Amino acid sequence: MRSSTIRTAPSHFARALQYTSPGLIRCPRPCIVAKWLQSRSLTTATAHEAIPLRKHLKDEAKRKKADAKRDGNTASTKPGGDPRLEKWELTVGIEIHAELNTASKLFSSAPAEVLESDNGGTANSRVAMFDAALPGTQPQFQVATLLPALRAAIAFGCEVQRQSGWDRKHYFHWDQPNGYQITQYYQPFAKDGCLVLDASDGVPALDMQGADRLRIGIKQIQMEQDTAKTTNVGSSTYHVDLNRAGVPLIEIITLPHIHSPQTAAAVVRKIQAVLKSVSSCVIGMELGGLRADVNVSVRERGTSGVGSSYSGVSGLGQRTEIKNLSSFKAVEDAIIAERNRQITVLEAGGVIEGETRGWTLGATETTRLRGKEGEVDYRYMPDADLPPLVIGQDLVEHLTSTLPTLPDELQQELQDEYNDAKTLIDLDSGDRLDFFLRTVHSVTAELGMSSQAQIGKMVGNWVLHELGGLLTTHQRSWDDVRVTADELKNILLCLHRKQITTRVAKQLLADLFQRAPAPAARPSVEQLIETGNLRLRPLSEEEYRDLARRIMEESPEMVKAVREKGQKGKVMWFVGQMVRQGEEGTVEPEKAKAVIESLMGG
Amino acid sequence: MPSSPPEPVGQCESDGRAPGGCKFASQAMRQECVKPGDVLFDFNSPGRGQDVDNVDSSASAKGVEASPLGRKSSSLTAGLHRLNTSADDNVMLSARLRWRVGSKFNYACQREHSTTIRQQNELNAAIHNGSAKDPSLSGALSGRTIAIKDNIATKDSPITAASKALTGYTSPFDATVIKLLRQNGASISAKTNLDEFAMGSHSQHSHAGPVLSQHSRSGVPLSPGGSSGGSAVAVATGQCWAALGTDTGGSVRLPAAFMGTVGFKPSYGVVSRWGVIQYANSMDTVGILAGKVEDARRVFGCLDVFDGKDPTSLSASVRRHAAQRQPLGRGLRIGVPLEYNIAGLAPAVRSAYMRTLGLMQDHGHSLHPVSLPTTRQALSAYYVLAPAEASSNLAKYDGIRYGYRTQGPDASPKSGLPLYARTRGEGFGEEVKRRILLGAYTLSSEAIDNYFIQAQKVRRLVQRDFDEVFTQLNPLLNSDITTGSGVREEQGVDVLLTPTAPTLPPTVEEVKRQSSVESYMNDVFTVPASLAGLPAISVPVKLSGGGDEMVEERDVQSVGVQLIGQFGDDQLVLHAAALLEHIDREV
Repeated sequence: MRSSTIRTAPSHFARALQYTSPGLIRCPRPCIVAKWLQSRSLTTATAHEAIPLRKHLKDEAKRKKADAKRDGNTASTKPGGDPRLEKWELTVGIEIHAELNTASKLFSSAPAEVLESDNGGTANSRVAMFDAALPGTQPQFQVATLLPALRAAIAFGCEVQRQSGWDRKHYFHWDQPNGYQITQYYQPFAKDGCLVLDASDGVPALDMQGADRLRIGIKQIQMEQDTAKTTNVGSSTYHVDLNRAGVPLIEIITLPHIHSPQTAAAVVRKIQAVLKSVSSCVIGMELGGLRADVNVSVRERGTSGVGSSYSGVSGLGQRTEIKNLSSFKAVEDAIIAERNRQITVLEAGGVIEGETRGWTLGATETTRLRGKEGEVDYRYMPDADLPPLVIGQDLVEHLTSTLPTLPDELQQELQDEYNDAKTLIDLDSGDRLDFFLRTVHSVTAELGMSSQAQIGKMVGNWVLHELGGLLTTHQRSWDDVRVTADELKNILLCLHRKQITTRVAKQLLADLFQRAPAPAARPSVEQLIETGNLRLRPLSEEEYRDLARRIMEESPEMVKAVREKGQKGKVMWFVGQMVRQGEEGTVEPEKAKAVIESLMGG
Repeated sequence: MPSSPPEPVGQCESDGRAPGGCKFASQAMRQECVKPGDVLFDFNSPGRGQDVDNVDSSASAKGVEASPLGRKSSSLTAGLHRLNTSADDNVMLSARLRWRVGSKFNYACQREHSTTIRQQNELNAAIHNGSAKDPSLSGALSGRTIAIKDNIATKDSPITAASKALTGYTSPFDATVIKLLRQNGASISAKTNLDEFAMGSHSQHSHAGPVLSQHSRSGVPLSPGGSSGGSAVAVATGQCWAALGTDTGGSVRLPAAFMGTVGFKPSYGVVSRWGVIQYANSMDTVGILAGKVEDARRVFGCLDVFDGKDPTSLSASVRRHAAQRQPLGRGLRIGVPLEYNIAGLAPAVRSAYMRTLGLMQDHGHSLHPVSLPTTRQALSAYYVLAPAEASSNLAKYDGIRYGYRTQGPDASPKSGLPLYARTRGEGFGEEVKRRILLGAYTLSSEAIDNYFIQAQKVRRLVQRDFDEVFTQLNPLLNSDITTGSGVREEQGVDVLLTPTAPTLPPTVEEVKRQSSVESYMNDVFTVPASLAGLPAISVPVKLSGGGDEMVEERDVQSVGVQLIGQFGDDQLVLHAAALLEHIDREV
């Protein structure tokens, strides 16, 4: 494979750009994080995309709030939790099907775009002859569909296989025109990855077992075809729409490393976030872009269950599979229900059957769909029409080097760069971090790159402490902050250029903090300085000395304390007096201190 | 476009009790077209090169054509055809009315005189406009009529594959081979009868009725061979100049041997399969039947083109290598496989075969005994692999989007039948059902290790057997071949010479008495080359004459002998066949 032939498919990235501004003055788009990356030459072919870190953090915060509320409720109704969970351990493995962000279907040049609104495309209007399984048609692997799949595999740290293959999975259904689905059963294209979670992802402390991070193994990722959409219309009519038939999916299979329903939901959320961040899958679970199947088993703690072994993890209980879960909540609730059902069966001396079960949102129990005897034998067979898929190392390297930054990495990089980043990340669902980054970015743009770390420190101080102090004083939440990053930038620039004193800068911030939000009604920083006559008018050396002498004469005890008792700290008292008694915006503390010291010494 | 108002989606109906069958309607279907730039990377697949379809890009650029799925109710057989024709309904109808008329041998599914006329009119118009050269005047096949096995798609007539399952279906596109033939000036004269979905060795398992040979023994008609029996009969009786068939395990070579014609199966992947109904797609090969080797070679020359629509189409580099093969400059080294000397070899076949070997030697070619030890397992492996692939390839015939559909619901829980059981049960003939069941079993999780996987291993051994006897190395296994020698001179052989079938054609009465396994035995000499994807040709040679038994006047007067070459050595095989044909005629 020659790297010179490598092209990205630009058209479908356009969809990732639908991350548009809600029109708030504090939220200019594109997201500053992407800009920040660009400013640091970390741009990639896909870097113009907004990385939804902020949204991710916001969602997390929302979820935590909900969790806390629910946990509170649970605690109140069930003090001490479920004692059965002390005895039984849950084990879960997840299979996630994600629709790839591609221009075409997997094996035909028909467009893959499934519009976000259900009525976005005329039914059966995006169907190539192969998609309708016409006699004599053959699959045509669309190589570009490999790119988002590979980005996902790289993001999950998988080993991309040099050679993989295509297999047919047979079953009859209306949604499957060929009578089989083409998938990668025997040789998936990516193996042995992992997903790393921490408490901020919503993993309960119990699951962390004292560690900072939780590793969930990813067994493999395979590419496969999606099915047609069928809609039941009335009791006896079905509509079949082949637009979705043959759209590329990846199936991500985790190892059974998950031991709580909350962690399972966290895994699905995190997988979605990672897929979005590398633009592999842009349609979220809520819009049907992601679907999950979960495998659930329980075993008595300290035992090896019934000795079942799945994906090389042994000593587990008999598992059941719950198919087609289409929301994070469904994942969590279905696992809770199935866990409780299995424990009840086992405690009553029963045996768990290997079976497929279903779950509907709001239900309290899973329902049996089919048992082992009703299991479909998929008769997997290599597809003789399709040559093996050979992926060159150079392509993998190219995609690795141009991969957009993952949410975890981004946090790490920010923390490495700015001391305050870690604190900022945890505040206000990332809004404060966003504000901080935008301010740093615009100040840096004015002052040049060299002093970025210093600027970061200064801005961090103002965003955390000055704005934080105002929030506390006025008992407001961050959502009510009306100061814009641009205003703070202007204040800090004036301060940095010694056009105003620190004291004036703080006054300006406090002033702007309390003004009305509408942008038109707000005076600019420049106007405030002019109208308040706040610009620094440096005193001459002589004027400093006159002012200092006058204050020293008024307070002979203090002078004595410094001169005779050596209480050097009292010097700052004089500085404070000079700033206060001097005309507003004229006395710079550093200079005042120097003058006092020279007079005391003299 | 459909004349009725378009419906938004396909519609399924049932008896109202439960999810039933589906019927399907669609508005518009995009024409499949390979656009330049679709392929971003050249991964190591066979076949990336020029696109034969450039010539027809204007047609595919039009994009939307009449939908092949345009059906709304079960009573639409006529309507479906109309959807696929624009102005020329009458032409199509007349073509359809010829269904099963054929000839007294029932070789044809449809004849297409009217279609040819229409095509000629279009062509004349194009020439008049200066937009095209007239291939019918200057093409390599100009003025030649070619019959097409009815499992190859032509958009101006229904395609049946001799199955009830495809009732009323007309393909919305031409197979690549059809385009190539027309580009070279040929006219398509008929769609020929076959064993249903090309499964059979005697062309007796056809929904259109059995194909009859012009030969008979004691008044009983003989088997024309199969599954391309209709094509072989059409050539043998002079109904066409040449014919296309398909050869999966011998389906071109066997009828050629039984009908006294030439039957050539090229290397797998040389001729495009786009538009050819799959039976066992890892072995399906479009083949050529003709009266003379030279004619077969001429047709082959027009079809030997890379096709981007067929993912198994051989790459340009392998084709280049084959084209650069130097003439031998010496006599042929002919291999005589010891394992083909089976007890079941009929005396008439044995004596003709021995005589042919002797004749070749007399003409300066050398004979070399070779061993192909896996030959004995090859037939079993074939009858595991081919049905397995068939069970998969035929899963699409569910009656929803096209083809035959049973009356009423097809998945009522009360009937206790799985989805589509009635439609498929009624649509497929006995032999097809037998192979689907066989294949579904050998792929099942309990049986796959003992059958499908074992058979794949045997297949690899068969291929290795062949690789060990040829002077030429296998270009698919030796990547350095394009740069270096690729030839082991003074060891190995250039071609293998074997009988095509172990017996003379049986009578249709005998065929009826045969068990399936006995019937499968006819393929014992043709199947190994199919498993290995090698080029092979059946050439008729005279019965030895002075043998023990007198041959009736109406009985066959020839025996088929088969030449097999290394993968990609199609031209050498044709060359050897022409020599053999010449020598046999001289005698």
